[in-house]
Amino acid sequence: MSAVIEVKNLSHYYQKGTPLQVTALKDINLTINQGEILGIIGHTGSGKSTLISHFNGLLKPSEGTVLVDGEDIHKDKETLRNSRFKVGLCFQYPEYQLFEETVYKDIAFGPKNMKLSDDEIKERVLRAAEHTGVSIDMLDKSPFDLSGGEKRRVAIAGVMAMEPEVLVFDEPAAGLDPAGRKKLIDLIKDYHRSTGCTVIVVSHSMEDIARLSDRLIVMNNAGIAMDGTIQDVFSRADELTEMGLDVPEITKIFAEIKKRGFDVPPDVYSVDRAVDVIRSLTEGRAGL
Amino acid sequence: MISDITFGQYYPSKSVLHKADPRMKLLLTFVTIIFLFVCKNFLSLAVMAFITVLAVAVSGVPLKTILKSIRPVLIILVFTAALNIFYTKGGEVYYEIWKIQITEKGVNTAIFTIIRIVILVVLSSLLTYTTTPTDLTTGLERLLSPLNVLHIKVHTLAMMMTLALRFIPTLVEEIERIMNAQKARGADLETGSLVQRAKALIPIFVPLMVSSFRRAYELAFAMTCRCYTGGEGRTRMKQMKLSVRDFVLLFICLTACAGVIVLNIFFEAVI
Ligand SMILES: Nc1ncnc2c1ncn2[C@@H]1O[C@H](COP(=O)(O)OP(=O)(O)OP(=O)(O)O)[C@@H](O)[C@H]1O
Ligand SMILES: [Mg+2]
Repeated sequence: MSAVIEVKNLSHYYQKGTPLQVTALKDINLTINQGEILGIIGHTGSGKSTLISHFNGLLKPSEGTVLVDGEDIHKDKETLRNSRFKVGLCFQYPEYQLFEETVYKDIAFGPKNMKLSDDEIKERVLRAAEHTGVSIDMLDKSPFDLSGGEKRRVAIAGVMAMEPEVLVFDEPAAGLDPAGRKKLIDLIKDYHRSTGCTVIVVSHSMEDIARLSDRLIVMNNAGIAMDGTIQDVFSRADELTEMGLDVPEITKIFAEIKKRGFDVPPDVYSVDRAVDVIRSLTEGRAGL
Repeated sequence: MISDITFGQYYPSKSVLHKADPRMKLLLTFVTIIFLFVCKNFLSLAVMAFITVLAVAVSGVPLKTILKSIRPVLIILVFTAALNIFYTKGGEVYYEIWKIQITEKGVNTAIFTIIRIVILVVLSSLLTYTTTPTDLTTGLERLLSPLNVLHIKVHTLAMMMTLALRFIPTLVEEIERIMNAQKARGADLETGSLVQRAKALIPIFVPLMVSSFRRAYELAFAMTCRCYTGGEGRTRMKQMKLSVRDFVLLFICLTACAGVIVLNIFFEAVI
């Protein structure tokens, strides 16, 4: 596996040199591999948004370097600009960035900034619209006439249309109802599966992360507290609780079931999976 | 960085000036500034300078913070000083080169103007350092309330001012957020011709307008829900009361003003 993003000894201070200085990141080392789907979780103010804003050079490291494709993104202006297109960042509540007259034009904003040909732009807009479930007849509407959930999809399509190597989502499902959340998570998963590009998702929801990613990073107090597979991380439930985080309810229940001497797998993160496990368990009994 | 803009730069402390009635502070600042322009010679100006130093000393605001408020007007200071030195003529000629003359009157006027502007800036920022924006607008509302007779809606104006002050930090934050989002989509805000750069502001400006209107509607709705119907019949939880402290301040200020007039009469004017 080759690394797409390498973060080396990264520290970031807000309002540096004033009495109000905040250490948002402290000595972060992190390697993100080509094609993986990575979850980042952590309590409020742990530095998640600050970290991902370094991936495309929106923030400049106070100390340390960020490499994209092996190149320091702050090397020169050109590299910095290219990093914006290599790493697509989709912020929390992205619907507030919509501004064009039509949905089509808004999705085309990113590709247009990349100075692509009109045909290429059109292709990309249509592809992004398909990935996000934005219907063709929606493309001619004003983005301000859409519902909140539709706006969110259009905004995500706007970032996807740049077809970046790495796509980063900050709290993509914030403020959506459970059905909307599930749909959006599935959409990101499908996108990852069909394009094979690297995806990073910041979330507060353990359930969402568990459904999405293989590798999980836990941030705590401006640093990386854990980095491993979902299973590794969830097995350290006590530490997570100390950090103000929590494993999914269903996982806790299954840990209890296991303590009572039943042979259940440790990787139960969703109710669907739980149903399957219990069914196979009871069927096994019935067979006895 | 945009977030460096401070507005309503209140500096919390428990000094006499902080505790003084905002109406009195507004009034006294106004009067002192007027008398700043009544001053005719350096002696009377010294009286105003003394009052200002006194006020800074008791305000509990660090000198460094005060000096920071002068920085933005530094260019204006240099500019007015230069204009005065070169264009005011009269009295003894100190220096002459080609057509440019530096005269006694020019130098005096320059120094006078600089001191005047510095005092003006220090006094008015001292007002905002020692008074919260809410107190300031409330004080202003009360002071201007006689204008209600002329059917000027003083309360509405004051409320608008309070809300505007309250939302400046929010807007700054919002602008920063939108700028980041558009930059992430490759928006280029820094390079290009003037026209291109103006055009590049559209992706920032439109979402800002949209969210400001949404915020305004939400705020209006929230205010209505809490039975806000305008200024009529509205009472205040915190009543403003003049105390002995305020009259002492008034006395000091009036003494200084009297001093200015006396010194103006008995000594020669330099400006
Ligand atoms: N513009 C800023 N100026 C000053 N401090 C900031 C700024 N942005 C963030 N911080 C501080 O940096 C720290 C990390 O913030 P960050 O936004 O990265 O947290 P987060 O993990 O994304 O939190 P959340 O889950 O609430 O989004 C916090 O303590 C925050 O107060
Ligand atoms: Mg965040």
